[in-house]
Amino acid sequence: MAGSLNKPSPPRWLLAELTYACPLQCPYCSNPIDYASINSELSTDDWKRVLKQSRDMGAVQLGFSGGEPLVRKDLSELISYSHDLGYYTNLITSGYNMDEAKILELKEAGLDHIQVSLQASSKELSDFIAGTESFEHKKNVAKLIKKHGYPMVLCVVLHRENIHQMKDILEMAIELGADFVELANTQYYGWAHHNRDQLMPTQQQLNNAETIANQYQASQKGNMKIYYVVPDYYEGRPKACMNGLGTTFLTIAPDGLALPCHSARQLPNFDCPNVNDFSIQDIWNESKAFNYFRGDDWMKEPCRSCKDKDKDFGGCHCQAFLLTGDAHNTDPVCSLSPLHHTVSDAITQAEQSSDQAFLFRNSKNSKLLNN
Amino acid sequence: MSLQSDKGIQLSPTYRLQWEEAQNMFVLLYPEGLVELNQSSAEILQLCKDDNTLSDIVSTLEQKFSSTGLEPDIINFLNTALDNGWITQ
Repeated sequence: MAGSLNKPSPPRWLLAELTYACPLQCPYCSNPIDYASINSELSTDDWKRVLKQSRDMGAVQLGFSGGEPLVRKDLSELISYSHDLGYYTNLITSGYNMDEAKILELKEAGLDHIQVSLQASSKELSDFIAGTESFEHKKNVAKLIKKHGYPMVLCVVLHRENIHQMKDILEMAIELGADFVELANTQYYGWAHHNRDQLMPTQQQLNNAETIANQYQASQKGNMKIYYVVPDYYEGRPKACMNGLGTTFLTIAPDGLALPCHSARQLPNFDCPNVNDFSIQDIWNESKAFNYFRGDDWMKEPCRSCKDKDKDFGGCHCQAFLLTGDAHNTDPVCSLSPLHHTVSDAITQAEQSSDQAFLFRNSKNSKLLNN
Repeated sequence: MSLQSDKGIQLSPTYRLQWEEAQNMFVLLYPEGLVELNQSSAEILQLCKDDNTLSDIVSTLEQKFSSTGLEPDIINFLNTALDNGWITQ
């Protein structure tokens, strides 16, 4: 096996992507571009097996996501089962199609927390980005989530078209009673990578946004926790992606593919195993995909001799693959990467406005891109 | 915001303290977050309930571990916990 001879640390986080179906069409969706060709979905019993085996190994944080997890008819049943196993259960939802009865039903099932996303602070822009009229309904859902005593994370993905609304977004979060706000600058995988030129903010936009985020972090201390996720493109240092692949996080895709990170499906020669064929224990301990980037045997220069290699683990392998064609390369957001220009060129490019329209995330476009 | 010695201390309602058999440790769980606790942190957090004040926690732990002078370390940890929003008063 690659990496060290030590037994790997157990999975602590399980991300259950229940379905790729989603009523929204956000152009920065992290789902694979070709999701429309992935039609099979695990059954309720398959998911229960995965949940049990993962819990036995040590997973304790559980995210139900997608797509839109509310599309699955068995969501309450799976939450109830997970709650009984002792998971901390998080629902990551657009809030679309959610109503008060559903919020109560999920509470009854033992759901611990709901993360709801909004696309912007104004109806017009939010509905445009979502590709579906949803803003007013989502805001109402957020209020109902708080009414029924859930802790709530409000998530807003930031990009060129909405980052100027930072102040209004934070005021909206206060109004809705969010406990945590996640201001997540777009990461460029999946659909976001395809729409990168239209999504990337300018340096000036980012500086303004960060100043406002810092002000609110100070003024809201003790009331609302604000996470501002700095975009790695502009940082010069890579992120410690997934805390190192195969150390902490386990993602199961709708079709049962087990992934050490949710975009690893695209990595060539990675041979991600499927839970229909292997137990979680075999997958985590023995599979090629989960052992591939453990330890540092795989590293090339400049990572191999870098003093930070145990801090950032070479950064994001999916990004290295997307931008340089080789997942073993140093993540090119790192200023030490010989291919760092692939990132700095994109930043320069972002100073110009793009006249390309967004390609929205939907089945029609997915099929179009896949041909 | 710093610790007030005369007030009861509770775990914040959005946080959950749980023993994890597989990892052989206590963890603190909250929305999309997980803190793995060392033994002393876990001992202190387990006492953040029932309106226990700082002095209640100090005396319980000094008795339990037959030791003295734990107060400075306990105050340090509780201030960190308060700052992180893990506990309230």
